Amino acid sequence: MSLMVSQPNIDIPAVTKVTAAFDPPVVRPGEQASLRIALNALEESVEWPTNLAGPPQLEIRPGAHGQILQFTGRTMEPRTAFNYHVRSSSPGLFTVPEFVVKVDGKPVTVPSAQIEVMSEPPATVAPAARLTLGLPVTNLFLGQAVQAHIVLPGSPGGVVQGLIQPQLSGPGLLLDLGAIRQRIEMAPRAGVNVATFIYEITFTPMIAGKLTVFAQGFTVGQRVSGPVVTNSPAPVPPGLPQYTLVESDPVELNVRPLPREGELPGFTGAIGSLAVGPPKLATNVLHVGDPVRLTVTVTNRGDGPLARLVNPPPPQAPGWQVFVANDFAPTQPLPPQQLVGPLRPGLPSQAATVAGVVTFNYTLIPLTEAAQATPPIPFSYFDPKAVRYVDLTIPSVPVTVKPGAAPGDLASLMQTNPAGVEPEKELALSGLVVSRGRTASSLVPPQQQAWFPLVQLAPAVAFFGLWRWDRRRRYLEKHPHIILRRRARRALRRQWRILRRAARAADGRRFAAAAVNAMRVACAPHYPAEPRALVGCDVLALLPEAERFGRAGEVVRRFFALTDATRFGPVAPPNAADLLPLQSDLDRVLQQLEEKL
Amino acid sequence: MKPPLLTQYLRIDSTLRLEPRAVEDCHSPRRFAGSSASGYLRPSAFGLRISFGLRRSGFGFAVSTLLLLALCPCTSTASAASPDALFQAGATAYRAGDYARAAEVFRESIILQPASGALHNLGNAEWQRRHTGAAILAWDQALWLDPFNQSARQNLRFARKNAQLEAPDLAWYEVISTWLPVSWWAWIAGASLWLAVGMGMLPGILRQRKATWHQAIAAVGLMVFLLSVPAYVGVETRLRIGFVLQKDTPLRLTPTLEAQAVTRLAAGEPARLVRTRGNYVLIRTNRALGWVEEDQFGLTCPRTRNKAG
Repeated sequence: MSLMVSQPNIDIPAVTKVTAAFDPPVVRPGEQASLRIALNALEESVEWPTNLAGPPQLEIRPGAHGQILQFTGRTMEPRTAFNYHVRSSSPGLFTVPEFVVKVDGKPVTVPSAQIEVMSEPPATVAPAARLTLGLPVTNLFLGQAVQAHIVLPGSPGGVVQGLIQPQLSGPGLLLDLGAIRQRIEMAPRAGVNVATFIYEITFTPMIAGKLTVFAQGFTVGQRVSGPVVTNSPAPVPPGLPQYTLVESDPVELNVRPLPREGELPGFTGAIGSLAVGPPKLATNVLHVGDPVRLTVTVTNRGDGPLARLVNPPPPQAPGWQVFVANDFAPTQPLPPQQLVGPLRPGLPSQAATVAGVVTFNYTLIPLTEAAQATPPIPFSYFDPKAVRYVDLTIPSVPVTVKPGAAPGDLASLMQTNPAGVEPEKELALSGLVVSRGRTASSLVPPQQQAWFPLVQLAPAVAFFGLWRWDRRRRYLEKHPHIILRRRARRALRRQWRILRRAARAADGRRFAAAAVNAMRVACAPHYPAEPRALVGCDVLALLPEAERFGRAGEVVRRFFALTDATRFGPVAPPNAADLLPLQSDLDRVLQQLEEKL
Repeated sequence: MKPPLLTQYLRIDSTLRLEPRAVEDCHSPRRFAGSSASGYLRPSAFGLRISFGLRRSGFGFAVSTLLLLALCPCTSTASAASPDALFQAGATAYRAGDYARAAEVFRESIILQPASGALHNLGNAEWQRRHTGAAILAWDQALWLDPFNQSARQNLRFARKNAQLEAPDLAWYEVISTWLPVSWWAWIAGASLWLAVGMGMLPGILRQRKATWHQAIAAVGLMVFLLSVPAYVGVETRLRIGFVLQKDTPLRLTPTLEAQAVTRLAAGEPARLVRTRGNYVLIRTNRALGWVEEDQFGLTCPRTRNKAG
């Protein structure tokens, strides 16, 4: 509480002061200048326009924006800055007109600003303060840590400007705030060595693709570059520091995903150039059930920073139980004596600062006296220069295991870790498959389709039909007269048609023959007999008693008499045309015979 | 004012574009007898067939012309890209790191014709986009089509281990149904049943003496049928299994927007669909029963939702 009370109050002024100025105010054609607009208000309270209107000759692009709390003596005052990049290819005096923004819902006028573009600007005009973003590599792999250098050069007079709230802006970057370093060193600028403020930060790209990143920060200088136009009558106190938002040119990163091919066991995301030292055991003489600590040192041999390393997972080895002592191993600086060794030949002196070591600790418990060496622990890293995975498996250490006080749960441990069981394969996302594989018309299974019951019904219908057909066939086999009568009916109808045609054609001979045939086939099933073997009396026997000697009997006799005479008689038969008028009587006889079938 | 014919054309066109299912139905090579060897509709053949069938009347000709015009946008869309071409385009986008585009293209390929490999790759793309629920759903659908797809199975285990998710709790008959592709069980059950019936009936019908091998085949068919019935039932019950698509999905007490959230579900968490009401579905997870929005829950077999409830 006392710490909170001791902090200066944040004072948000009732009157918003706005400044707008070009830095530098005079540039050559094509040279870039920055339009810096600053307000003493919280950034969240400012409704800033999307586009900034200006003369058509000026190319205006939005730049960085940010907020800082400025110490004003007793209180802290917010200061929000917006930068624009301005460039003109034609000389002249250009003015960005004043415009109105809303701060806390109230309109505030941003004053106009002037820039002069001339071929020979005066030598007294100081160049604009800019940051320089230095990246050792811009072609990266996903997860590869990179150390960025944000450089703010001092003035030739030896004045060093500080940098507050330096940051990297860009999508998909993970900044390692634990690995920030800042220093001041002499660096050449325009042929003169000047004190330069250098801010180092490590970042890791977390998404693949083209990423644009730039640096920004507030300088704590005393200088005011160029004329300042303000809408407030209150003068700017000359003694207070002026916080100026400066930025660097954007840098484009090409971030590629790690290749899936060739990934080795024990890969936990380590990228760079690493070396594993010899594993160290607390003691080489062990007892069954007694834990022992295994320590392994991983050294950075590359020119990139040693990012946070994750321990390789403990292996499942027969006869051993292995635990990770600490899930995360912080990076330690490399001891000085190793810096001069052969670990990092040919690297610049500055790269030595990124060196470091990481220590992995494991706890191992021997479960049997048969163990003669510690199990190897798979570990690998990805080398971005060689674009391949490198095996750094932690080797075995020979040990002597003596009998000891076995733990109570040794049996269960041995059961869950049998000697013959291979360790579980490490899970990893498999790559793309090259073929479409098994296809289907739909994800819906067939039994959910409307046609499926019909398809299943088809065999049922077929089997039912077969069964019915077989049953009928067996019935007819037991009752053959049904088939005889059916055939007789068909033959009778056929002969009937023939005799009708003959009657229409007035062909008495065919008419008589067809009539006799019809009577024979209609009577044949009743005897049974071949139709051609029947004679007239056979037909008469099937007629009712009264009909035999009536008209029907006479018709039968006349037709048989004519056909018998034609076939067997020695004399010429009577005229067959005389029988044609008997068609109606013949039809009645045939109907009677058909009814008996 | 648009002519009536043009109005209908536009309406059909917009319907086809808005409803992927409709496009799928039009493009499915099994829907039309006039499909070409490459599996796509030949408009001329289909149109002529319609015209020949109805050419005796003026009304028939008008109807055939209308149908031909209505099918034009469908066929033009079909000829634009085949499932194979879309699959290759998705793989190219994936290798270039454009996972959003890859997922979109793989999904289009699957709409045209579901394939195990395309679903597997869709899962990979969604996983790279950190859409855990969609990735797990796609891999599960890949296994639904092809349980022998070891890559999809491995990815599912990998994703569940990373996201600390459980696999669906399957009954024994559901586990059996995962041994073969889901479409096989119905055919196996039907074929084995009718084989057994046929072997029992046909020798008598064909006046043949029942031989031992007849009875053996009938017995085997009956056994296969009895063994496939549990798997058949397992497929039926697995139709209601789905996965939560969005992370921190609230499981509501009632199917309303203002309902109290019982708990929050992680993306990729399995659940079973109980019923549907409006835009909400009642699901049962391993922990609780509650309602989620329809869009927040994806079924392995999407058609089931229409039948539920």
